[in-house]
Amino acid sequence: MGREALLVATLVELADNLVDDYDVIDVLTVLSDRCVLAIDVDAAGVMLASPGGELQFVASSSESMRVLELFQIQANEGPCVDCFRDGKAIINSSLVESHERWPHFTPRALEKGFQSVHCLPMRLRGRTIGALNLFRSIQGPLDDTDVVVAQGLADVATIAILQHRSSLDANALNDQLSGALNSRIIIEQAKGIIVQSESCDMDEAFARLRAQARNHNVGLSEIALRVVDGTLLSADLDRPKGAPAS
Amino acid sequence: MTAERLIQIFELMEIHERTREHAPALCTVAAEVTNLSGAAIALASPGDQFTPLCAGDEISEKLLDLEITVGQGPGVEASLSGVAIFESNLLSPESSRWMFYAPEAVALGVRAVFGYPLRIGAARFGSLILYCDQPGMLDDTQTSDAYLMASVIGRAVLAMQAGAPGEGLENEIAGLSMLDFTVHQAAGMLAVQASVPVKDALVALRSHAFATESSPTTLAARVVSRKTRYDALSGAWRDELSG
Repeated sequence: MGREALLVATLVELADNLVDDYDVIDVLTVLSDRCVLAIDVDAAGVMLASPGGELQFVASSSESMRVLELFQIQANEGPCVDCFRDGKAIINSSLVESHERWPHFTPRALEKGFQSVHCLPMRLRGRTIGALNLFRSIQGPLDDTDVVVAQGLADVATIAILQHRSSLDANALNDQLSGALNSRIIIEQAKGIIVQSESCDMDEAFARLRAQARNHNVGLSEIALRVVDGTLLSADLDRPKGAPAS
Repeated sequence: MTAERLIQIFELMEIHERTREHAPALCTVAAEVTNLSGAAIALASPGDQFTPLCAGDEISEKLLDLEITVGQGPGVEASLSGVAIFESNLLSPESSRWMFYAPEAVALGVRAVFGYPLRIGAARFGSLILYCDQPGMLDDTQTSDAYLMASVIGRAVLAMQAGAPGEGLENEIAGLSMLDFTVHQAAGMLAVQASVPVKDALVALRSHAFATESSPTTLAARVVSRKTRYDALSGAWRDELSG
């Protein structure tokens, strides 16, 4: 599918999702996936700030530890931290040149094969609530259209947090943010349970949570919670299409 | 900036811990940082019950006991619902909630109350309760600080329940970010290995980390890579020699 067609399909899908009840983490994961397909980047992810101001990972195009670790580090240092603090985009930052700026983040990102990073702020009525982080395995600038598309997708991600409320007061926004962040933790806890019970890896565990959510029209966070509280057994989770049954 | 705020919190903790135990110091700091009248911490136990952990002052203590006794109030509700609960004016006619709590709270001199859940994923530890002797909502800074305190206190309670060594609780929790993937994945795995709820697994993981003088992340990485596991039959942690 050409880039434009993919973007149109993405926007339509997201609009559909935003009209009904949907799961914030699932939408942000889809968004991250589409960033990788639509823009010339190799990995994408979203970090959100808790109401207390702590930055935390919520969704990404990849569940591999290779990528997740880079978001782990960025709780304290890195492009997301700067972008969130300043509310300004970081574009075309070459990792080779950023050792001084991000002494812990840079070597880890380089060793994972990334050469450049970009970060778009997620802003809502004067408040920065998070950042969309993009990684590339090559040097060189993103083209201008890609930058516009990336900020557009970041803006859609921000609207997703509103959860189809047209006016969201600060308290409701805080509830949304802290709920999303806590749901992510529940998802990690659920992944551990599934990995142990089903002898699969973390990627497969996440894929099964998503498949179950999709097939049964239930939120991803809700499925994860049921796995953790024991009302849904790991063995009963659907498998993603195309995956062999063991 | 949050990093500076956290440093301030820990500095205040150090000051107060000279004269108080950890838990009451957390309450004192919570009230100081948010510029409110007092704070208390309720712990959740199984069956939706609560017990008091500590309070920063006499009124907070009575307020907490009241709430636990009548089973109504910001702390109970915040812990059960998982969202922050506010009542900016206990005297206003609109606030008809908490029939058994509100009048007694007012009699103690309390006018506004704020409850924040203490939770780490599916593990619910209880709630932080803040009160003010004047009515009114929190401003943005107070709100942000209250959430930050709740986050810090949640980690502190986990560390305390896991038997954190006396000194350096602040350093302990200052070093941990909110989301350490490996720790939560390991807690999930351990929950299955030991047939316990995830909350107990988190505490056990933390506890074993203290016992072996290892960082929680290092231990968690060993669990996730299957180099260390809990053997339910023998009731002991096992290090795999292979791999």
